[in-house]
Amino acid sequence: MTADRLQHACFSGLVWMLYVFLLAPLVCIIIVSFNSEAVQSFPPTGWSLRWYAAALNNAGFVKGALTSFLLAAAATLLATPLGVMAAVGLWNGRWRFKPIIEALFVSPIIVPGLVSGIALLVVLASAGIRQAPARLLIGHMLIVLPYVIRTTLASLLQLDRSLQEAAETLGATSRQAFFKIVLPLIKPGIAAGMLFGFILSFDDVNVSLFLVDARTMTLPISVMSYLQYSFDPSVAAISSMMIALTFTLTVVLERWFGLKRLFAGR
Amino acid sequence: MRHPTPAALLVLPACILVAACLILPLAFVLAFSFNPARPGEIELTGELTIANYWRFFASPFYWKILGKTVYLSATTTAICAAFGTVLALAIWRAPASRRGLIVIVVLSPLLVSIVTRTFGWMVVLGDNGLINAILIGTGIVGQPLQLMFTNSAVIVGLVHVFLPIMVLPIVTALERIDPAVPEAAGTLGAGPATVAFRIVLPLASPGLIAGITIVFSLAMSSYVTPALMGGPDSGVLTTLIYQQFVVTFNWQFGAVLVAILLATSLLAVGVTFFEFGRRSRAWMSR
Repeated sequence: MTADRLQHACFSGLVWMLYVFLLAPLVCIIIVSFNSEAVQSFPPTGWSLRWYAAALNNAGFVKGALTSFLLAAAATLLATPLGVMAAVGLWNGRWRFKPIIEALFVSPIIVPGLVSGIALLVVLASAGIRQAPARLLIGHMLIVLPYVIRTTLASLLQLDRSLQEAAETLGATSRQAFFKIVLPLIKPGIAAGMLFGFILSFDDVNVSLFLVDARTMTLPISVMSYLQYSFDPSVAAISSMMIALTFTLTVVLERWFGLKRLFAGR
Repeated sequence: MRHPTPAALLVLPACILVAACLILPLAFVLAFSFNPARPGEIELTGELTIANYWRFFASPFYWKILGKTVYLSATTTAICAAFGTVLALAIWRAPASRRGLIVIVVLSPLLVSIVTRTFGWMVVLGDNGLINAILIGTGIVGQPLQLMFTNSAVIVGLVHVFLPIMVLPIVTALERIDPAVPEAAGTLGAGPATVAFRIVLPLASPGLIAGITIVFSLAMSSYVTPALMGGPDSGVLTTLIYQQFVVTFNWQFGAVLVAILLATSLLAVGVTFFEFGRRSRAWMSR
């Protein structure tokens, strides 16, 4: 039995090391962001909030944050109706070519973001569309769409179809049955998809990398270009704020919908 | 009439969005890669040539970059597969009360921007970073070790980015296993390691294979981590692509690189599809 216990202890030890591995860089960012020195030394020699002030006074970061927020909000709001309609269509539809449509809807996740960004850049440039906001919006709608479809479809599949049928038997039109019965029941799924899509769009680098220009810069990309030239703790401060935001939203998502369902489908 | 709006009409707008903004542009880029290279030229022309592909495949320099990209991605994938399996088993075995917390710890890094996570590793591995502070503080080394800007740094960063992605399909596969099966093995005298390696892991292998495919393909196309953490000579395929599209404006040759990147990732996905058959396919499409 001791061999078993030894195996068990080794396993637990490894698992704890992996937890530390996953969280260490995030914790280090937060610690460094309160540093009072201009170099990122460990452990910090003194504590202050000056780098938060520096980050909030950095015009590039503030403008980037605003751009990213507007972009993520617009992309989410535009992609959600399309996604919900598509999910309802998939739920009702009985076609032979359904797997092809499903594959089409997964393709924005499977094609690397970098590649879809470049593809959009090239095709839009050829069509004469050179404005960064327009091409960013299209690219980010592609980020959001598959997740709204996935969470909405997951909610629909848990729904008892007889509810809709009962409403219709009792005299509701199918339109009424959908808007009064089905839609309220799948709302949490739609909301989870929107929130998740918003986070992914806000954090995105790969799709946006080739679609931004000097005037329209998203927050992650302006942080990245800042990092390529300087390494002061104001990046840690802005990153800590982003981590705090994401962690709050993550906990909400986990309570609301379940993170595992979100990433792994049904 | 039960369905005033036919299901096909509902699916149509999203189909058009994906087809027009993803599939069509991909085909366009592929066509572009066969145009003669003219830096600054961004219109598709009718002239066709394979000179761009020849330029890539005839040069040892580009082969080296492709080799390095594949090496970094394969190493990352192997490490993620080993550790991802361990974490997936931990999630699977955890009592329901602790599960939510573990899932948040393992999956929440996925929701933090890649730039932020890479920056975190710059703080940990830098000359004044956490690891060097510990090593110097305990007197193991006198001078800070050069940890950043190496291939190993890139691999550490990539493993951190992709580990949670590897865990997911494995957990999904584990959850399909009937708990009576490992229990029966235990009753019949198998130790925990035997149960894990001979019973549980083979049953979870479709998830593991799906994870390996996804992580390899994503690692091949990652840009932020190699760009920020790699050394000065650390060209990988994606940084080369960035250079062609943004710096030298040779979009035709850039399109060739995109085609090669896509082909390499899709090759990995394709091998999985045909090698491991329907069960893995079902997992991939989730």
